[in-house]
Amino acid sequence: MIAVENLTKRYGLARGVEDLTFHVAPGEVFGYLGPNGAGKTTTIRTALDFIRPTRGRASVFGLDSRKASVEIHRRTGYLPGELRLYERMTAEDHLSYLAELRGGVDRRAIADLAERLDLDLSRKIGALSHGNRQKLGLVQALMHRPELAVLDEPTQGLDPLVQQEFYRLVEEIREEGKTVFLSSHVLPEVERVCDRVGIIREGRLVAVEHVADLKAKAVRKIEIRFAEPVPASAFADVAGLSDVRVHDSVVRCSVTGEMDALVKAAARFHVERLVAEEPSLEDIFLSYYGEEPADTSPSEGDGS
Amino acid sequence: MLRNVLLKTLRDQRRALMWWSIGIAAMVLFTVPFYPSLRDQAESLNKYMEEMPEALRAIFIGQVEDITSPEGFLNSQIFVFMAPLLFSILAVGAGARAIAGEERAGTLDLLLSTPVPRRRVVVHTFAAMVVAVFVVGLVLWGSLAVSGAIWDVGVPASRTAAAVGTVVLLGLVFGSLALAIGSATGSRGSAIGVAAAVGIAAYLVNSLAPVVDLFDDLKVVSPFNYYGLPLARGFDVADAVVLVSASLVLLAAAVVGFEGRDLAVR
Repeated sequence: MIAVENLTKRYGLARGVEDLTFHVAPGEVFGYLGPNGAGKTTTIRTALDFIRPTRGRASVFGLDSRKASVEIHRRTGYLPGELRLYERMTAEDHLSYLAELRGGVDRRAIADLAERLDLDLSRKIGALSHGNRQKLGLVQALMHRPELAVLDEPTQGLDPLVQQEFYRLVEEIREEGKTVFLSSHVLPEVERVCDRVGIIREGRLVAVEHVADLKAKAVRKIEIRFAEPVPASAFADVAGLSDVRVHDSVVRCSVTGEMDALVKAAARFHVERLVAEEPSLEDIFLSYYGEEPADTSPSEGDGS
Repeated sequence: MLRNVLLKTLRDQRRALMWWSIGIAAMVLFTVPFYPSLRDQAESLNKYMEEMPEALRAIFIGQVEDITSPEGFLNSQIFVFMAPLLFSILAVGAGARAIAGEERAGTLDLLLSTPVPRRRVVVHTFAAMVVAVFVVGLVLWGSLAVSGAIWDVGVPASRTAAAVGTVVLLGLVFGSLALAIGSATGSRGSAIGVAAAVGIAAYLVNSLAPVVDLFDDLKVVSPFNYYGLPLARGFDVADAVVLVSASLVLLAAAVVGFEGRDLAVR
């Protein structure tokens, strides 16, 4: 559906992307994960022909991104990462305009999406909050039921309830057999909705993984508080555990992948509280690089 | 009004166009009523004109022979300086806003994510600029016709139509230049700056050509050379062809410049 081959984009002093190669299969939800400034938007904008590659190429629907950009745009819905709208239009007029440029869109599809995302179409764009602008961006990206939706940071600015509705929308699109390419800097989001994930850092692709494999590699920090002090030896040989520290009745450790072994080890004692921290992106990079992030306190990576 | 880029662009401009129309009509209404009293002082005024330094006269009054004749009056007061200036400002504003303005506002990615080719966006915004300048031209023509009848200036409406038409074509050359620069660079500032600098240079070269020999050789590249004194001689087809061709060449340059480059991120 999307094929990126040896794609390099450099501009000026700003970091671009370097030698990216990956494929997105039809019907899959592909997450493009990386911190802000890693090159996610650059990759997307190159695939949609807003910017041109320094080297390499991108194709969408098997069509060359440069030669067939209009055909690609016709069959794609796009939510820009830096969404700017026509401030003086109402939301309704704005969507009508984009719909007209697409040769007409079923009005019910617009109304339905707006209702599901709780967007008031009669308001002027200039008066909309960041979250409502983002909703409008989503509506215009999905209103023509595109074969491929390219969504750059789709949930930024959305409140949690609307995020959930968005995840349901993605699920429905997947069920219709259509393809979604979404970028994110939040791991749990990608884990929740995506089939596969490409991880990008500093313009380079670190890995492309099935979400299940990513989960197996993810390192979570866990803190367990027991009713009474526990012996350190009880957690010494538990599978998947690293970085174990036991202080009286509190155990802190890192778990790679499944937590089953830890939970069973802990269950021998009286557990008062168990707190699991979602792995940060830096922790994920750590698990691929085995190197220490510059801005966090030293901790042991599993160096796979 | 939202069917395509052309109509949407005109819709965006509707308020500005209304103010431009009011301004142009006001300019005419603050000029034409002075004609009868000027005509009555013809002798002393013409004498004063003859004593004026040649260069100064060339710049502000042009080659007007007799500023107390109806054509001479309107030429000197409106068509030599004010109308070309105002129509160029109008067109340059529209041309610079077209691509570069939308890029600066950050909406260009969204617009071009629809199946609208880049070249069509350029052509539509060009067409919107043409329509806007023509509309304001129509207002100028109408104001001249009405006020001319009231204060008995006595220039045939077909004559003023020819003059207004030529002003419109002249303004569009500079507007197209701004469109081309804006499309190729994405910078609205550069578009306005370059178009203004070229416009001023072109005006000075043409106006001072009778006084400065070098400028006399250069004036063939000045659009003002094909503008002349429109009210005195009527519509010159050959000159109009030159002005229209210049705009079309610049439009082509805008398309090529826009298609070949990266869009800016905001």
